[in-house]
Amino acid sequence: MTWTWFHRLGSPPYVYALAARLTPWLAWPAALLMIGGLWGGLVLAPPDYQQGDGFRIIYVHAPSAWMSLMVYTTMGLAAAVGLIWRIKVAHALAASCAPVGASFTLAALVTGALWGEPMWGTYWEWDPRLTSELVLLFLYLGYMGLRAGIEDLQRADRASALLAVVGVVNVPIIHYSVTWWNSLHQAPSVMRLGKPSMPGSMLAPLLMMLAGFTLLFGALLLVRLRAEVLNRERAASWIREELGT
Amino acid sequence: MRAFLDMGGYAAFVWPAYAVTFAVVILNVIWARRALALARAEARRRLSARSEP
Repeated sequence: MTWTWFHRLGSPPYVYALAARLTPWLAWPAALLMIGGLWGGLVLAPPDYQQGDGFRIIYVHAPSAWMSLMVYTTMGLAAAVGLIWRIKVAHALAASCAPVGASFTLAALVTGALWGEPMWGTYWEWDPRLTSELVLLFLYLGYMGLRAGIEDLQRADRASALLAVVGVVNVPIIHYSVTWWNSLHQAPSVMRLGKPSMPGSMLAPLLMMLAGFTLLFGALLLVRLRAEVLNRERAASWIREELGT
Repeated sequence: MRAFLDMGGYAAFVWPAYAVTFAVVILNVIWARRALALARAEARRRLSARSEP
């Protein structure tokens, strides 16, 4: 087994060019899946027998919540790789995750509040799931604030990476909060062992939305990664060629 | 169409939820593209500053 692919992924010019090439292959399928999921979720799926049309919030709430966790996990892994092997590209990747994750965490909280009011009778409750998701938002904001507060990019990378890695403990807490504690929030109906507890016509649009959001994250990450890589390379000759100056 | 917009009486919750998520998606696309454009402009500026003695 050779490790050349791993070493190449640590090379900024290679990563910059690869990211540019891959972006459309993620962005267009993401757009198509999201449009399909929207149509399926708003028009084709039947109303829920208990929640009527109110359940349709699931098609934006669940993908946003999924993003909030998946992006944080990606950020934590990239930060750990950056810390352990001192790879600049890994730090660049971690830094690219934060704004995306923070904004989707906010979307998950807002759409959850809009779902909570008609179904539970409250926009907000200091419940384990809701509170741990709010902590996640603060972790993202703390990470970005820490980076913004340190002038030296290398020191900012290392300090923020440490925060990102420590914060990963919150991810399983959020995921299992509904199982471990009594929560207003329902238990998982898709991401669980065994069969999802939803008919196909409701489930298919949800899976399309989840896949679409995931691919969108990939595309956003690649675009942001290129920006971060450029900011970290002070005067490399490959940038001259890449920008055609 | 009216029934669709009414969302079985949940319109006041369903549509804002979709609007917020849509806004977050669109803003993310705009922010990411702007970050890259800014980084490229900054790199160009650095390169031209170096090539002039």
